[in-house]
Amino acid sequence: MNAIELKSLTKRFGSFTAVDSLSFSVPKGTIFGFLGPNGSGKSTCIRMLCGLLLPTSGSATVNGHDIVKDSEGVKRSIGYMNQSFSLYRDLTAAENLNFFGSIYGLHGERLKKRMDDVIGLVGIQAYLDRPSGQLSGGWKQRLALAAALIHEPDLVFLDEPTAGIDPVARRELWDLLFELASAGKTLFVTTHYMDEAERCNEIAYIYMSKLMVRGTPNELKALPEVTPEGTRRIAIASSRAPNALSLLKKQPFALDTTLVEAEIHLMMPTQTEDAQVLAILREGGLTDAAIRPIEPSLEDVFVTITRRLAKQ
Amino acid sequence: MMPALYGFWSIASKEILHIRRDITTLVFALVIPMGQLLMFGYAIDYDVRHVRTIIIDMDRSRESRDYIASLQNTQYLDVVRCTSAPDDAAEALRKNSARVAVIIPPDFARRFGTKNIPTVSVLLDGSDSQVAVPARSAFLRPAGADGSQAVQARINVLYNPQMKTQLYTIPGLVGVIMQLVTVSLTSFSLVREKEQGTLEQLMVSPVGRLGLMLGKLFPYAVLAIVELVVILLAGRIVFDVRIAGSFLLLLLLSLPFVVAALSIGLLISTIAQTQGQALQFTILTLLPSILLSGYIAPRETLPGPLYLLSNIFPVTYFIQIMRGVVVRGAGLADLLPSVVSLIILTIVLLALSTARFRKSIA
Repeated sequence: MNAIELKSLTKRFGSFTAVDSLSFSVPKGTIFGFLGPNGSGKSTCIRMLCGLLLPTSGSATVNGHDIVKDSEGVKRSIGYMNQSFSLYRDLTAAENLNFFGSIYGLHGERLKKRMDDVIGLVGIQAYLDRPSGQLSGGWKQRLALAAALIHEPDLVFLDEPTAGIDPVARRELWDLLFELASAGKTLFVTTHYMDEAERCNEIAYIYMSKLMVRGTPNELKALPEVTPEGTRRIAIASSRAPNALSLLKKQPFALDTTLVEAEIHLMMPTQTEDAQVLAILREGGLTDAAIRPIEPSLEDVFVTITRRLAKQ
Repeated sequence: MMPALYGFWSIASKEILHIRRDITTLVFALVIPMGQLLMFGYAIDYDVRHVRTIIIDMDRSRESRDYIASLQNTQYLDVVRCTSAPDDAAEALRKNSARVAVIIPPDFARRFGTKNIPTVSVLLDGSDSQVAVPARSAFLRPAGADGSQAVQARINVLYNPQMKTQLYTIPGLVGVIMQLVTVSLTSFSLVREKEQGTLEQLMVSPVGRLGLMLGKLFPYAVLAIVELVVILLAGRIVFDVRIAGSFLLLLLLSLPFVVAALSIGLLISTIAQTQGQALQFTILTLLPSILLSGYIAPRETLPGPLYLLSNIFPVTYFIQIMRGVVVRGAGLADLLPSVVSLIILTIVLLALSTARFRKSIA
């Protein structure tokens, strides 16, 4: 059974089509990465799936509830966590949890138990009486996650949950997400971080309001359009990688070049020999270069697909 | 509970938490208008002309008609009605259809040329000291200037015999403060939800739109009523302003005004995107409410277009009601025109703001 199912979901604002006939499904219990550049229609799509916005045409179900006919059912069964901290800054962490529990109809013992559960889950015991506006970025996001989980939703939408928080907090938040997924929750996550996309079970990539690709990270990397027939990808390690990059960019065989962690990632025709590349680098005074074959990264996947479409 | 109302109590109790966290704003909202009381209440003196006047002419002689004409000529007074029934005088003043009543006794003409100086009685509505003082001067002018014989006027000030400014200021101030606090607090609290993204968090929850709207407004409505009582109490203790009429009627008639003020706040929150903008809009609505409503200067002094404009502010009618009940002891029947106008305005504002609010969170 799928947690989310979209069938030709479309939203137009006047003559502008923000979401263009999206169809895909999100299986239960997965961490689903929803990726795409800013302005590609991600937020509009999420707003429709949360029952905030009516689609122009097409349909979707969330946890079995139709988003048009039963938006109340949708709202009761989902949690929502926004990129910007959207709890009450002047209320304490505990008061926020108490309030969000109460608007989902929780009260008394039940509310207390749920509060204890989510507080334990995100580990925010020490900061319960602090106004939530004074918490650090990482703790704010944990509190927001706790609030999104207070009514035990099966599905949680997380819109750029790690934007602007430090790497340690980011890692810890992801550990929490894995824990939730292993407990059977479905997580619908948007992000611009490739390492986070890499952690998702499945990914949908949208661009210009349309679904480009959907699949597991490995499936996407193996897509023929990412590494077209007759091409291959290599990584070149060099102590002066930026110099090597500007040198290689000029070569006719360099179909795609980028710098990743002090290495150059290069896509070139299969018949181009490694030795040929090394010779050019040596000529340019870069004698310590070393080459190894690589698989495309997710970034390569999205960049290639986006560029190919922009050219058309 | 109705699904649309779902979440009302949760929102309302959260709002009370916000209010408790932000005592400073609340205190300022209450203290600033108190300063206004001191600043505006005393020194302002306008040249008031054209005060509505009722004449009770029991003599109906040439002399009495000449006298009425001479009063008109001063331009201080505008005769709105001329009758011969003495009971009409007090009633017209209580209903605020006239502010001055001149009673010409049946022996007025006969006294001319005799040792008895012709005498008229004048009743002044002291509830508006800014009218009463200038109106008085109309009768103090030497009447013999145009060659006619002097007429003595026995002036009686009704309702506020000491012509105490506070008795005039405080009932008006109640309306101004209630509007200021209610409009600013409600518009701020709603715009803050928009600014901080919490409105979106609420909209993905099952909270109903009506529950959200009423839950946000309810605590401020209660606050406004509490304020009304506090200011009246302060007026009583500090300035010895006593309520001549029914306190219960006052509370009852302040309800439509509170709803109107909440609607203005709601309306502002649908237009403003930031708290700064909300503040500007609040000031925009507040200034005319202070300057044109009759709080500072009688509306009679306003030039035509501004006078017309002053009709669309709920506070204009609320001040009339407050002064009527507090100073003149007026009952519901006496205040009917003001009450009806206020209720119509309130319904219009409520409909407008609710429609806009529903749209803004869709």
